[in-house]
Amino acid sequence: MAFLTLTNIRKVFGMAVAVDQFNLQVERGEFLSLLGPSGCGKTTTMRMIAGFETPTAGTIHLDGKDMTNISPTKRNVGMVFQSYALFPHLSARDNIGFGLKIAGQSKDAIAKRVNEMLALIKMQPQADRFPHQLSGGQQQRVALARALAVKPQVLLLDEPLSALDAKIRESLRNEIRDIQRALNITTVYVTHDQEEALSVSDRVVVMSAGHIEQIGTPLEIYSQPQTLFVADFVGSMNFIPGTVIDNKGNVRCASHTFNVGTNVSAFSANTAVRLALRPEELRVYNREPQQPDSFPVTLNSAEFMGTTYRLHLAAGELGTLLAEVPANYARTLHTAVGAPLQVQLPSEMLRVFTA
Amino acid sequence: MKRTSLTSWLWMIIGALYFLLPLIATADFSLRAEKNKLGFLAYERVFADPRFISTFTFSLYVSILTIIASIILVVPTAYWVRLRVPTFRRAFEFITLLPLIIPAVVLVFGLSRIYGKYPFQFMIETPALFVVGNVIFALPYMYRSVDIGLRAIDVHTLTEAAQSLGASLPYTLLRVIFPNITVALLSGAFLTFAIVMGEFTMASLLVQPAFGPYMQQISSSKVYEPSAVAIISFMLTWACTGAIQLLGRRSPGQTQVAGSR
Repeated sequence: MAFLTLTNIRKVFGMAVAVDQFNLQVERGEFLSLLGPSGCGKTTTMRMIAGFETPTAGTIHLDGKDMTNISPTKRNVGMVFQSYALFPHLSARDNIGFGLKIAGQSKDAIAKRVNEMLALIKMQPQADRFPHQLSGGQQQRVALARALAVKPQVLLLDEPLSALDAKIRESLRNEIRDIQRALNITTVYVTHDQEEALSVSDRVVVMSAGHIEQIGTPLEIYSQPQTLFVADFVGSMNFIPGTVIDNKGNVRCASHTFNVGTNVSAFSANTAVRLALRPEELRVYNREPQQPDSFPVTLNSAEFMGTTYRLHLAAGELGTLLAEVPANYARTLHTAVGAPLQVQLPSEMLRVFTA
Repeated sequence: MKRTSLTSWLWMIIGALYFLLPLIATADFSLRAEKNKLGFLAYERVFADPRFISTFTFSLYVSILTIIASIILVVPTAYWVRLRVPTFRRAFEFITLLPLIIPAVVLVFGLSRIYGKYPFQFMIETPALFVVGNVIFALPYMYRSVDIGLRAIDVHTLTEAAQSLGASLPYTLLRVIFPNITVALLSGAFLTFAIVMGEFTMASLLVQPAFGPYMQQISSSKVYEPSAVAIISFMLTWACTGAIQLLGRRSPGQTQVAGSR
């Protein structure tokens, strides 16, 4: 049995169904992210694990014990909040020691554990500062240490980095991942930031409208999206509407016909579909020399992204296509607005979804 | 811009004169107990009056009891309303404002009707009913002070953070919420103190030996002393207001709401 199990969870607020048919198993020491847009039910799910919300139906088991109706004070689940939620009247040291004091530990034991935690988050020099004397990043590290000090069975992080600026967000997320690995603590991380979820997680749960769209490793989620929602939500994707012509893998999109191989075998002829392709999977060339299976496009605009260029291409009846090419390669292309280019859509990269 | 500023100053001066002139006149009058000489004779007489000491001490005692009872009643209620039934916050605010709408005479009559009978006679025979009445009178001020204090902190998240660390609700209230609303509590307490010290209607209807009725009594029998007592009373109120201001300034971080920096 998995360490944390959510079985047939359903949560209803009045008439609104926040979470439905939610089944999840999290292994001991796993870093799992709940990813989805606002209102998809990810925070509600986390709050049910923490005990702040009671499921309308379903059960939550932690290490084999039924936790569904257990008070949050008795769950031994650490939580880090988006707004840090540090106690303003207590120093960083006292904030970290708060849970240990409640647990009735001796002063020496508390001091020892607090010092361990301060070392872990590298904040010994700021130990006696109050929350208002700390930066956002430091406050969140104290909040993390406070949650970890009580040695929780599961660590829950509710969008812990969304209030921070981009640079701190990146360094802190790596720090969180390092600490999680060092302590091997089972972690559930809620975020709407796909980059965050993909970069730190062992597995990602993509949620939409209260249900699970897909569970998988970051690579699976990115490269093999199972639903149109996941394909659209995670990363950038070009969608080209088309119709299945036959069961040999041919799809007609406007006046173009693309062969998508066996991907289309599940669809019968005349089914309306959408072909999906990541911007970095498009092959972009100058108009000359002519490439096989390519079609002409015109460059609408080019955005410099640092290591890559993002090209907005006018593809006639196919609409606008987005392509991303390495900056070094982009220098070999005509990148003036209106420049004539050609693109190939590699058939092995084309994904097919019901329209 | 300059014209607006001048107009503002003009209105401020008119306002200040409206409030200060009667006060200055009262203070001046209180210093003229001796013929052709300014002095503190009226104040000396007031302080020498045993009734001043006894009524002042009694009101002080009642105000302390009122403050304690108000805090015990209001803080958990306001906390609970914010935490569990936020939709009823407006209704609660309205209820707490009722003492400002209901005339004191009506309130005292109702209270004495209910608590004047067995088994509550002790309420009317002791200052207990007077304390209860004062708690009701001070409710709008205490509730608003506490509510403003609670608004300044993220009650919900702080409570959940404490709960996730194993803290029960009473523990959270005492160790997390209380320390973060001390300034608000003290503001409420000083306002309550000022109200109780000057309370007249209920004290006289319930025949309580309080400071309010004493001020009224000496005003009917003395000339200069009532002015002296009025100035003392004003100074007491100002001291309370000053203390609120001072505490508000000397509370680094206590009202800080967690957020990005």
